[in-house]
Amino acid sequence: METDNDNKSSGGKIALLILVIICSSFIVYFTVMSMLGPSRRLAEMKKEYSSEQSDNKKEKDKGKEKQDSRNFTDSAYLRLIKERALLQSRLIMAETDSIYLTINLADSSMNLEISGVVVHKSKMSSYKASKILTHGNENIIFEMLSTPLTISSDIATIKKEPVMVKMAPKDTSEYKPDIMPDTSITEPVSYILEMTNGTRIFVYQQEEEKPADRMAIFRFDLNDRLRQTWKALKRVAVFKVPEYDLYIKIKLPRADAKIIYRAIPKKGQISVFL
Amino acid sequence: MKNDNVINKGQQSDAVPGKTGDFPGETGGLNSFWDKLTANRKLVGTLRAILFIIATLVFIISSIIFVIYGVPVLTEMTSGHKTLVTNDKDFRQNPAYKKQTALITKDIQRLSRKYSAYTSGQSYIVINTTDNRFFLYQNKKLIREGFCSSGSYTMLQTSGNKKWVFKTPKGKYWIQGKTTNPVWKKPDWAFVEEGLPIPSSNDFSRYEYGVLGDYALSIGDGYMIHGTIYKRFLGMPVTHGCVRLNDEDLEVIYKTLNIGSKVYIF
Repeated sequence: METDNDNKSSGGKIALLILVIICSSFIVYFTVMSMLGPSRRLAEMKKEYSSEQSDNKKEKDKGKEKQDSRNFTDSAYLRLIKERALLQSRLIMAETDSIYLTINLADSSMNLEISGVVVHKSKMSSYKASKILTHGNENIIFEMLSTPLTISSDIATIKKEPVMVKMAPKDTSEYKPDIMPDTSITEPVSYILEMTNGTRIFVYQQEEEKPADRMAIFRFDLNDRLRQTWKALKRVAVFKVPEYDLYIKIKLPRADAKIIYRAIPKKGQISVFL
Repeated sequence: MKNDNVINKGQQSDAVPGKTGDFPGETGGLNSFWDKLTANRKLVGTLRAILFIIATLVFIISSIIFVIYGVPVLTEMTSGHKTLVTNDKDFRQNPAYKKQTALITKDIQRLSRKYSAYTSGQSYIVINTTDNRFFLYQNKKLIREGFCSSGSYTMLQTSGNKKWVFKTPKGKYWIQGKTTNPVWKKPDWAFVEEGLPIPSSNDFSRYEYGVLGDYALSIGDGYMIHGTIYKRFLGMPVTHGCVRLNDEDLEVIYKTLNIGSKVYIF
């Protein structure tokens, strides 16, 4: 009887050990595959933003750029190409009558503009961006940023248009005059703007004085991480490298974050200055 | 081994049950507890099972946390190497470098000129519909700001499935008309909202006097910037799409903006 039990427990131990080894191996495999994501993304970007110069005339320019790759080690040159990229991008957006957003990481500002007029200025308290954006690869990054990024979708804790449905009264006896709206509502504001080129812009409210605010930000962030991990797991399961998305994470005062989210059109445009 | 037993036995015999004094009985108590515990195989099994469950849970949770939070950090570590900025003075003297920077500088100047042409010195008004505030500019300088009321985002729906959404349009508009002592021609929704039958298009009941203040500035599509009798609602989203202002602000805006002046609403 005792030997049976011993055999059972040792069998269980072996099964557990095998399970732990399998799980650990999968985690290692997942980690390695995920770590391949950025280099794959960079290779894609190189292909995308260098292929624009494929015609003969531009090939000459490309040759010139290649010769002058040392330019990117010069801060004055970097500043100039950054400025040019931002202006090119803003000009494209200004030509439309739509509202657009300019994110200036260099001076931590985020402005809403319409046809070249700054209609709202806000100051970010902190930001974090993908290393691909901030570390090197200038020729590709500034080529990418010289055209505006277009929003493809968004995820948010607040509604873009807080529409309330009101049924029309059948006659005057049913009519009730509108009550004063509650403007004291301070719901947590966090959102993610997903761009057509795969870049993701995260905006979190800066205020975290209430535990409810902290909890809301944590929950929002966790939900997104779970979604992204699930997407990555699905790719890894079929032996594909998970997609790596460039990101910019910004903390803004709640009021500014709300204004920007409500103002920017669903398929709005954004320019980024690094 | 024998000696150990002797010592243990000696300690146990010295112990007075229930007394704590110098804790002489504690070791003995622990030992006897341990003896009892090892003797009770069932209890040991249960404890082992609990430990096993805890260890499994810890393993699962830490794996999940690692996958969700750790892997993105590791991924980020591999993504990019900062270009070394050398600011080589000799390289800056290179004619090719000079030519290239001159070209870019020229390009920037041209783009800047083009961009600043969008903001002319003309007067314009900016309306923030989220905070319900307005900002009036003249010669690119802010000359007045204050509260206004904008669209309530109410969707009025009839049983016949007719719908109106009361929101202020966003984007770039311009002043298309200016009126003093405006008369409000009530649209259909104004009657539907109060449960009244919709009159004919030119019925006298459609005309209401004195509710739009002293001035109105039209921005097209029936939307206007006008006064209000509901001043306590200024700073709140309560309108049917128009922008309401108090009398003093409205007068300044009316006198500052001309037909063609830009109205930026966001």
